[in-house]
Amino acid sequence: MVLNGEVSPVETSAFALERVTVRRGDTTLLEEITCSIPAAACTALVGPSGAGKTTFLRLLNRLEEPTAGTVAFQDRALADWNVLALRRHVTLVGQQPVLLTDSVLDDLRVGRPDLGRPEAAVLLDRVHLPTTYLDRATTNLSGGEAQRVCLARALAVTPKALLLDEPTSALDAVGTAAVEDVAHDLVADGLTVVLVSHNIAQARRRSDHVLVLDRGHLVDQGEAHHVDYLREHA
Amino acid sequence: MNPAVPTWAGVAASAALVALTVTVAWRGRLRLARDIALAAVRAALQLAAVGALLLLVFRHAGLAGATGWLAVMVLIAGQVAARRTRALPRALPTATVAITLGTAATMGTLLALAVIATQARVVIPVGGMVVSGAMQATALALTRLHDEVRTARPAIEARLSLGLAATDAFAPHQRTIVRTALIPALDSTKTVGVISLPGAMTGLILAGVGPFTAIRYQIVVMYMLLAAAALAALTAVRLAERALFDDAHRLRPFEGAEGARATPDSRG
Repeated sequence: MVLNGEVSPVETSAFALERVTVRRGDTTLLEEITCSIPAAACTALVGPSGAGKTTFLRLLNRLEEPTAGTVAFQDRALADWNVLALRRHVTLVGQQPVLLTDSVLDDLRVGRPDLGRPEAAVLLDRVHLPTTYLDRATTNLSGGEAQRVCLARALAVTPKALLLDEPTSALDAVGTAAVEDVAHDLVADGLTVVLVSHNIAQARRRSDHVLVLDRGHLVDQGEAHHVDYLREHA
Repeated sequence: MNPAVPTWAGVAASAALVALTVTVAWRGRLRLARDIALAAVRAALQLAAVGALLLLVFRHAGLAGATGWLAVMVLIAGQVAARRTRALPRALPTATVAITLGTAATMGTLLALAVIATQARVVIPVGGMVVSGAMQATALALTRLHDEVRTARPAIEARLSLGLAATDAFAPHQRTIVRTALIPALDSTKTVGVISLPGAMTGLILAGVGPFTAIRYQIVVMYMLLAAAALAALTAVRLAERALFDDAHRLRPFEGAEGARATPDSRG
């Protein structure tokens, strides 16, 4: 359904992959992947190390390019998007919190130089950080706080989809819970979240939809409570 | 003959210093005696060959010969500057073009403003200093760029992921790289004459030129080395940046940088 030029996120998939293969040299990282990722939901990408999860995630905002096949966002092939505009719609937050400037406010402005203080304060609120953190030095943040600043920085460019590459793997239990809560709230706000996770409990707890990768192949997919992999590895 | 310049007999006598060094190495069992002797002979032969070639160029080839001489120097300097960063895409053409531009702009300015004479005996030694300065800055810039891209890949990709263009995502790193590449030229400009007497000035004084005339040359040399280093470093980084990113504003993977994706917290 299209309303005012916007595709309704509820009734369509956010991403569609059609026979996607990624090779680097002699190594096949992903092979013949065909699937879709629902909009306004949290999709977990799970599987053992080396399964191709990060490569899959990086395909979605063109940090990686398929060797064969097509990836589409909102029913439009990624190659047809202006890549810079695409990355503002589909932002990626990495495994390690990477802060780019000296203060939290400056970091939030990396992708949005015109971001005002009130708007920046709202962003911190969305990631459950006090607004007093705006003037904090980025060197004085805990791992969980730093990762939430990275999330807020990604939200500053008003994305429609957020790609999270093991966002809690470097965090303690408190930091993990905080980031998970933020991701949950963002999905509730209508954002599409794609989450790479090694943590099966996290995938069961936080995702609506699951894609299981193994050695570059998509071996299972479906709603979180129907996917065998999550039950077997719980 | 200028008494300040050694005669051939004097040069032969100075070989006593090599003999002394060889003796020290031999008695100290450093296993360097043979290397020292060979290096000394090689230096003498290389310089004799260069001297003979320069004599030919000065007498017969004129400004065109000097330009050819500098072109060969630039090609060799490009090889040297790119040597440690072969993993970078298009490292050799990048280094060669950067040194060419740095040298051409600096020498062109000096010649156009009639700061130096358009004679082969002036253009070759001055050009040699310029090529050398440009080469040093280019090598430093490319080495620093190689390390920066290897360690800062997460930071660069974090910026790209926010929709920044490759140039903007790389800009903070570019500034750091160029600053680093210019430090030696800047430091030697700041301390010239204080820490050591620089080569051109020393040579002129040894050749019997008055100190106040010698410093005129040295001031020009310092300024031209600064310009050559800045132009070469900036060109090298700009060109390397084009080779590092593809049309989809993606940082290309290159050998030695693959592991960097897992590098922890890296600030740009």
